[in-house]
Amino acid sequence: MTDEPSSEPGEVSRRRALMLGAVGASAVVSIRPALAQTAASVSTCEIPVPDPARAGSYIAADGSLVPAGTPGAFAPPAAPFKGEDVKRAMHGGQLPGTDYESNQAYMQYIRRLQRGTSGFTCFASLQMPRG
Amino acid sequence: MRHSVSLKIGPVGFRIGSDWRVPIAALKDLYRDYPAPDDGIADFNVRLFAARFWRRFIRPSVMIGGDYIIPDAAPLPLEMGLLAAEMGMNLQMALGQRRYLLLHASAVVRDGKALLMSGVSGAGKSTLAALLMARGWRLMGDEFALIDPMSGLVYGFPRLISLKNAAIGLMRSTLPQGRFGPLMKATPKGNIRHLVPDAQAIAAMETPARPALILFPTFGHAPAERAVDEAEAFVRLTQASTNFVGLGQAGFDTLTRLVREVPARAIDYPDTESALRLVEDLWSATA
Amino acid sequence: MAGPQYLAEPARRIKSVRLGGITALFHRPSARTHLVGSPVPEILDALQETAMDANALLTFLQDRYEVADADPASLAARLAELEAAGLVRVA
Repeated sequence: MTDEPSSEPGEVSRRRALMLGAVGASAVVSIRPALAQTAASVSTCEIPVPDPARAGSYIAADGSLVPAGTPGAFAPPAAPFKGEDVKRAMHGGQLPGTDYESNQAYMQYIRRLQRGTSGFTCFASLQMPRG
Repeated sequence: MRHSVSLKIGPVGFRIGSDWRVPIAALKDLYRDYPAPDDGIADFNVRLFAARFWRRFIRPSVMIGGDYIIPDAAPLPLEMGLLAAEMGMNLQMALGQRRYLLLHASAVVRDGKALLMSGVSGAGKSTLAALLMARGWRLMGDEFALIDPMSGLVYGFPRLISLKNAAIGLMRSTLPQGRFGPLMKATPKGNIRHLVPDAQAIAAMETPARPALILFPTFGHAPAERAVDEAEAFVRLTQASTNFVGLGQAGFDTLTRLVREVPARAIDYPDTESALRLVEDLWSATA
Repeated sequence: MAGPQYLAEPARRIKSVRLGGITALFHRPSARTHLVGSPVPEILDALQETAMDANALLTFLQDRYEVADADPASLAARLAELEAAGLVRVA
């Protein structure tokens, strides 16, 4: 996965680019455990409501959704419609535009998909009438 | 307990016990074509009980108990006993299921391949599943999809389809021959009426299917669709799973495999006709 | 004077799966799942064999990669995240 720096004198360096990222950015999104039902209280339990990017919305550097064409914003992952294209894109595993900045913005976007604690336990407890 | 019924939904066996006859009678009627648990042994128990002895008779209210509970849940009036039983079974699955990765998603099958629709309450996954069932798709379930860690196949959980508010009238007119439970008004979730899955769904309830498409539907917007990347699908599905963390590495392996092998799309739709059109188009293109 | 020495969790304790441009990590001892993006995999790789303080790590990364934004504060932020996630510890 990592490249060794060239040791030949005079050869152009073929080292891979790397960015450390802004101090306020985040490169780690940890999956939070489901809410322990005994500790649940309605006020601490948020139903996760991820908003899908509306068709035509772009993803800004902080992961928020902005109108298409907003300067500095990144297009959401490409949407090939044909079956083979989708399968190829998925199995290729390459996020379209593996440019560092678009990956970072996408990272922020998926971080924002996590609201409150994970899953249905919270949802289930909210569905039940509370005493 | 005085009254009880045992039944199997998909691969999961339940025993529901009750202090009152009526909810058990309703379950026996609506689930009459469902098999008994294997060897008569239930995987999970649900108890519908009165908090105090007199609550059996005076303004009777049903407490939901079982192997897994939410301790401070308030009781429901006896008229909603069927809903209490459903909530009880949901709770056992949400909190106790360990054999399969549990996804809060509806699932339907065509040509042996499964479509999964994941979303929060109100996204339309139950209604869309019911409509697709009416169009000949095999219903696997309207609320839960079970993913087998060994094979990656989807197993169904074809409980009674829970229709809310406007969906009730829609399905009554779409399926005039359908079997419906009693109308329960003004429940904590609005008006609710159950629809019994059709003969095809019940007959094949233990037949798994290979997942071929994952959809994240949202109701109430102009029709639109976009691809959902593996990482985004993964995070959304961890949000939609009650036992991803509890399954440890098996959960991780099952879900990473699912999102790498199965394409995912997000769809917005303003009405069910648009949704069904989007679903059919995407299925033809990707599945 | 050297700062705290950081060491990554051994790779054998982590299951790693690529999900597009992002990597999903399952850390077996904690049974926690983390989604990580660059430069995390590269930092974890660098801190596998030998513990390094932040300055040594920055130098190491600059030798191995073309680091466009070699800011110690940025690296410190990444190390803090990794420590909070339990993927890196002070040796």
